[in-house]
Amino acid sequence: MSGRALAERGLLAVFVVFLLTVPWSVPLLLNPFWVSVIAEILIWSLFAASANLLFGYVGLLSFGQALFFGFGMYGVGIGIDHFGLSFWPAFGLGIVAAMAMAFVSGILAVRLTWHYFAIITVVFSLIFYFIAVSAKSVTGGDDGINFALPPTFSFGTVQYSFADANFQYFFILAAVAICFLLMHLVVNSPLGKAFLAVRENDVRASLIGLNVYVIRLIAFVMAGFLAGVAGALFAFFGRYASASYMFYTFSGEAVVWAIVGGAGTLFGPVVGASLFIVIREVVSTHWEHHSLIVGVMAILVVILAPKGIVGLWRDWVDTPADSAEIPAAPELRTEP
Amino acid sequence: MTGSMLKIEGLTKRFGGLTAVDNLSLDFPEGKLHAVIGPNGAGKTTLFNLITGLLKSDSGKVQFRNHDISGLKPHQISRLGVKRTMQIKSVFNQLTVAENLSITRQSAQRFLHPLRPASRDRQTRERVDEVLEQMDMTRLAGQTAGTLSYGDVAMLEIGMAVISEPQLLLLDEPICGMSPAETERAVAKILELARTIGIIIIEHDMEVVFGIADDITVLAQGALLVSGSPKEIADNEQVREAYLGRPEDEDYVDEAAHA
Repeated sequence: MSGRALAERGLLAVFVVFLLTVPWSVPLLLNPFWVSVIAEILIWSLFAASANLLFGYVGLLSFGQALFFGFGMYGVGIGIDHFGLSFWPAFGLGIVAAMAMAFVSGILAVRLTWHYFAIITVVFSLIFYFIAVSAKSVTGGDDGINFALPPTFSFGTVQYSFADANFQYFFILAAVAICFLLMHLVVNSPLGKAFLAVRENDVRASLIGLNVYVIRLIAFVMAGFLAGVAGALFAFFGRYASASYMFYTFSGEAVVWAIVGGAGTLFGPVVGASLFIVIREVVSTHWEHHSLIVGVMAILVVILAPKGIVGLWRDWVDTPADSAEIPAAPELRTEP
Repeated sequence: MTGSMLKIEGLTKRFGGLTAVDNLSLDFPEGKLHAVIGPNGAGKTTLFNLITGLLKSDSGKVQFRNHDISGLKPHQISRLGVKRTMQIKSVFNQLTVAENLSITRQSAQRFLHPLRPASRDRQTRERVDEVLEQMDMTRLAGQTAGTLSYGDVAMLEIGMAVISEPQLLLLDEPICGMSPAETERAVAKILELARTIGIIIIEHDMEVVFGIADDITVLAQGALLVSGSPKEIADNEQVREAYLGRPEDEDYVDEAAHA
């Protein structure tokens, strides 16, 4: 193993240790407010991973992931507020609603590719955004749904719920980590390789026996699952569900995070979401036009580092520091 | 005389006012290396697109052994064992040569496991090594397909067509753009494959066509002009006029006829 690969392992270990100690280390280093910012970053990373699964691995540019995020949110909100569900059934309802919506819209959307696909995802998003805003009795309209948080686990009199900030953080960390682990398994499986084949060359993919339509649909539902989990977590985190998170511009943010971080890499969305949310949190108190920085960075990355920040890093790791020999160019890597 | 491997009846494809394939009926018997030739625009590639399902015919029927494959989707036809290469070479550019082959191999399976690592499939790995060796590409296994030379991409594409044990192989100008050395290598490979697989080849290099084909089908303007053995084709006046009659091509015909 080269020194650089070791450095990568080391960095990953530091990152994992950091995530596991956030509730204690962050208040010590910064202040307690940043614990919830990091919890939020984890949720946004998962949301960006949803856009990344489609764009980075299957080659579908979706501006509609907010729709499934919104279904995850409303599933939880409506489940608790209208149906009186407890934590887990509401969580499940959010995820199932997001996946069902992804399946139904996917049946129509994945027939199309490129800009047609991007446009239809925006259209779906808009339709359901306006439905959510106008169906006041179900969704609460512009106000959204505020709900009382049910406990996550209760053992007799002992209850664990999101009211406990540490429990909330670790629950979100665990859920996001499980989703990333699942995504890691999927993208390295025969199915994940078929995703890459479809991304690279859909005509060739069909000629080697892949049903391109079904593969895109599977990816679309999987991406709906990731966005749905993110939306459900965010509903519990904020104790409310709101249509504003269903608007298509919000989907666009996920796409930008994924591309800047590194589309087609597992950790790209984490890097992209972290970077932009930290910028937002730090700069927005001083300067209201913080999205200008985001825009400039996005343009720079697209021009100078088409594989994103993680792509740059991977190239650096894979280039042996001590030899002039040029290795096989790793274009879009699928490893983290 | 063995039965027919691929039978085409009354196949027609129009693009607007242009009839690319015009009520074409062909019969390709088993166990031979067939060549399809014809001037540019004769409908050769369109014919391949119709056979493999990339295009839908307006009318007519394509029968592969005892399957009626007209109207099937490309992946369904591929799964019946009909594999092809493209005139404009078509591989997965950003993946390595070995990945190109292993994905192709695994895609032939009906169920794609969503959670097990693809690299743990030993059978696929062994088959990939086998094909790499067969194609003399072992040393290129780790190289990104998009960085290969044109000839190597063409060989990779043939390797991808071969890895899932095809029944019928359609090669669309496989040696176009190759250097003489690469051509020699590719022709040797094709002849080797033809011993076990039915092959239909579209090729413009007449030296190659007349050198390797058992049967030649000549198309012109989407219709069958004539078909027969290389010798019959070389001696055919109609073919000479329609296609080979140009002075610069006469060398090839004479060479082939006296080969």
